[in-house]
Amino acid sequence: MREWLKEALEELGRVEGVLYADARYMERETESITVRNEEVAGLSRAETKGYGIRVLYRGSWGFAASNVLSRDRVQETARRALGIARASYMTQKKPVRLDDTPPQRGSYRSPWEEDPFAVPLDEKLELLFSAVRILKKDKRIVKAEGSMEIFRTRKLFLSTEGAEIEQEIVETGAGIEATAVEGREVQRRSFPTSFGGDYAARGYEFIRSLGLPENAERIREEAIALLSADPCPSGEFDLILASDQLALQVHESCGHPTELDRVLGTEISYAGGSFLTLDKLGKYRYGSEIVNIVADATIPGSIGSFGYDDEGVPAQRSYLVQEGILVGYLTSRETAPVIGRRSNGCMRAESWNHIPLIRMVNINLEPAPDGPTLDELIADTKHGILMQTNKSWSIDDLRLNFQFGCEIAWEIKDGKKVRLLKNPVYTGITPEFWRSCDAICGKSEWKIWGLPNCGKGEPPQSMHVAHGTAPARFRKVKVGSGR
Amino acid sequence: MIGREGILKVLRQALERAEGPTEIVFMGGRSELTRYTKSQIHQHVAEEDTHIYVKAVEGKRVGVARTNQLSAEALVAAEREARELARRQPENPFFPGLLGPQNYTPTDTYSENTSRFGPERRAEVLKEIFAEAERKKFEVAGSFSISEWEVALANTEGLEAYQPVAGAEIGLVVMSEEGMARADAFSHDVERIDFDSLAKKAISRCELDRGKIELPPGEYTVILEPACLAEILEWLSFTAFGSEAYLSGQSFLAGALGERSMGENITIYDSVWEPEAQGLPFDFEGTPKRKVMLIERGVNKGVVFDRTSAKKANAEPTGHAGPPGSPWGAIPWNICLAPGDSSLEEMIASCKRGILVSNFHYVNGYLDTKRALMTGMTRYGTFLIENGEITRALANLRWTESMLKAFSNVVAISREREAFARDGGFASIVPAVMIEGFTFTGVQRE
Repeated sequence: MREWLKEALEELGRVEGVLYADARYMERETESITVRNEEVAGLSRAETKGYGIRVLYRGSWGFAASNVLSRDRVQETARRALGIARASYMTQKKPVRLDDTPPQRGSYRSPWEEDPFAVPLDEKLELLFSAVRILKKDKRIVKAEGSMEIFRTRKLFLSTEGAEIEQEIVETGAGIEATAVEGREVQRRSFPTSFGGDYAARGYEFIRSLGLPENAERIREEAIALLSADPCPSGEFDLILASDQLALQVHESCGHPTELDRVLGTEISYAGGSFLTLDKLGKYRYGSEIVNIVADATIPGSIGSFGYDDEGVPAQRSYLVQEGILVGYLTSRETAPVIGRRSNGCMRAESWNHIPLIRMVNINLEPAPDGPTLDELIADTKHGILMQTNKSWSIDDLRLNFQFGCEIAWEIKDGKKVRLLKNPVYTGITPEFWRSCDAICGKSEWKIWGLPNCGKGEPPQSMHVAHGTAPARFRKVKVGSGR
Repeated sequence: MIGREGILKVLRQALERAEGPTEIVFMGGRSELTRYTKSQIHQHVAEEDTHIYVKAVEGKRVGVARTNQLSAEALVAAEREARELARRQPENPFFPGLLGPQNYTPTDTYSENTSRFGPERRAEVLKEIFAEAERKKFEVAGSFSISEWEVALANTEGLEAYQPVAGAEIGLVVMSEEGMARADAFSHDVERIDFDSLAKKAISRCELDRGKIELPPGEYTVILEPACLAEILEWLSFTAFGSEAYLSGQSFLAGALGERSMGENITIYDSVWEPEAQGLPFDFEGTPKRKVMLIERGVNKGVVFDRTSAKKANAEPTGHAGPPGSPWGAIPWNICLAPGDSSLEEMIASCKRGILVSNFHYVNGYLDTKRALMTGMTRYGTFLIENGEITRALANLRWTESMLKAFSNVVAISREREAFARDGGFASIVPAVMIEGFTFTGVQRE
């Protein structure tokens, strides 16, 4: 494939008007297991391979991709991409210009110890079933589920500028979930977090480390207890978000609105725009002074990490929010010049058949230096609510008005958790919310959460991203039970 | 397009070499998408791919392997892998075995017009729309996609099925400095889309979206245009009308079939034979599709099943199995809300004070599935209606509402319905509705 793709790029490079072209070949193996109650509800292995060719013709893009692995089809696909770019040129108003990132030649392999594909299936099934059996020990648990996914991705990137990059990334993730039903009441608890659990760019050692069976009894008991818990009270409260819910808060209210393509309007008809407009860069108070948010694709073992993005830019670390001020965006080679910068390496494609878009990497809320533990933060709270594990999420098209629901909450009075609460929901306006942040826990509470399903783009692309967070407190947040 | 015989020939070759009962599901084709903003194409892509699921059966055990390479060798390798997976897992007592040959009631899901509508044609259509918007000093964003794909299914019991599908989908977002409006269309045949009318609709609505005021949260009479209903029904497909939601007790229909949950004027069903847009005549297990009444005149009537979930529920399969290996269970992909006898214009004229909502955004239906409690935002045009007329544009609003309550308070439903694409070839078909006492809980502001 390498030679066929090089040949196609060389041919494209000779066409008058072609300013740039790149090609990505990718192979991905996936294994997915879902066990539900006593059954294997889903068990599949998948392999996909193919290539995508992107052409910039007189400043207009074209892209074509194919799963047919032959020299003729590679050439045909390259010609198709060029034809599409020429059609795009028919409506051009302003040509695309790329930044001057030097072409890279190199390779990257994510760190892993135990090949997850080599672990016997029996062992994986037993791990999930052992947790599910514990969840099912109460008849009110109508659905006990365990799931696991493993991925191996091999990528080759080539460009007419001379870039040549190979990457191999192994990812794993797993989680368990208990749904309790009694009469008209339905409650759910998940571990390590909801919607599939936690993910990392590590081997099977990561799944072993999650402790799924070890936490199953607690999760079951919390789901049962929620059936008879009091509804979350309505009103303005000091709100402590546990690390996993805060990861989603960062994702929705900082990660997405700092994607520079959204800011420039290319997602306006689908995912939406952003309130973080260009005029705000360097001066807008996004959050309180203790809020520091960094985009960091260099953290070993996280699913938001890589060696190079999907247009060949090396992984980087850069601030988005520093001491509460908006200082950066997630960028690409096309968008970075708009703010006078070079790409910070955030162009990622779900697969070979998708064009890369600006996507989150690891978007992390930095822990406070000498920040408290969660227990200390609770002890420091007179009257508040602690919420954990996302259950529902919704945010407007500019990423301002949000409403999130959590699986579980506790009322805090005089520094102690005094009451379990069900159906907790909180709502707010993004900058008001982050400006009300008055405490962030320290490094001992900081953890990276891997989210395997960030959606964006048309055709829709699902991306693996991650967020490092420590629990934090927000003052006077509107809270309720969503009823 | 490969064609029925071309695909089934390869599938048969692989099945002949299978080591036991096997079923192969083929989905393959191509899709192209043109994306634009500020009246300029900024993303323009095409892809061809196949998804081939090989399901190997060992007694009551099933393994699935997937490849994107259509050759007998690749399929045989996948069959061996799937069989290994099957042998290593516990029996599923509800697995009913593979289905034998079936007869299907044909549906019309393909058009060569769509297949031929290439990137230059799309760019030409868009150029005209951009020019029309420019006359009002407006800009256009959106996407215009075409796709054609084939679904084929064959197994060692002799079942064979094949259906070609084409889809054309366009979304136009017309933007001024103050506001925006949206118009969408979906059809299996691209030539049935009236691009000019669509552009005029979005442009004229955009002219109204200026001078926005904020309305305080509270209960209002609301008129929801069809796009809003498409999103609500899509959520209910998963949280209420799917087999998994029903069997796990999370659906409001669980343990409540035959009970009234909505108003008498509400009928929701799944059908692949609607005139607005048709669907596959079989599911991914080869079961012929049935029209399934989900809510009939306000009464909980049924949910959809695949063959395994039907056995668990002691019910009949309805022809709604998803692709092999999917943990989602059966889902109604062609969900419809029955039309009424009103029109959008009549609803506005009859409304003393209320809110007209063009689109919803980022709806979430996981808040309380037993009450079908959802939240979301309004988008692409929210308007105040006073004394039968649109009087002001409004800032976007957040709503949080039980759909059981909302569908119990519907006072008017339009005769006209629109088809909204779901996953390429499938569609939801919905009218506009007028609802009393709809709860808005917040406003978009900085």
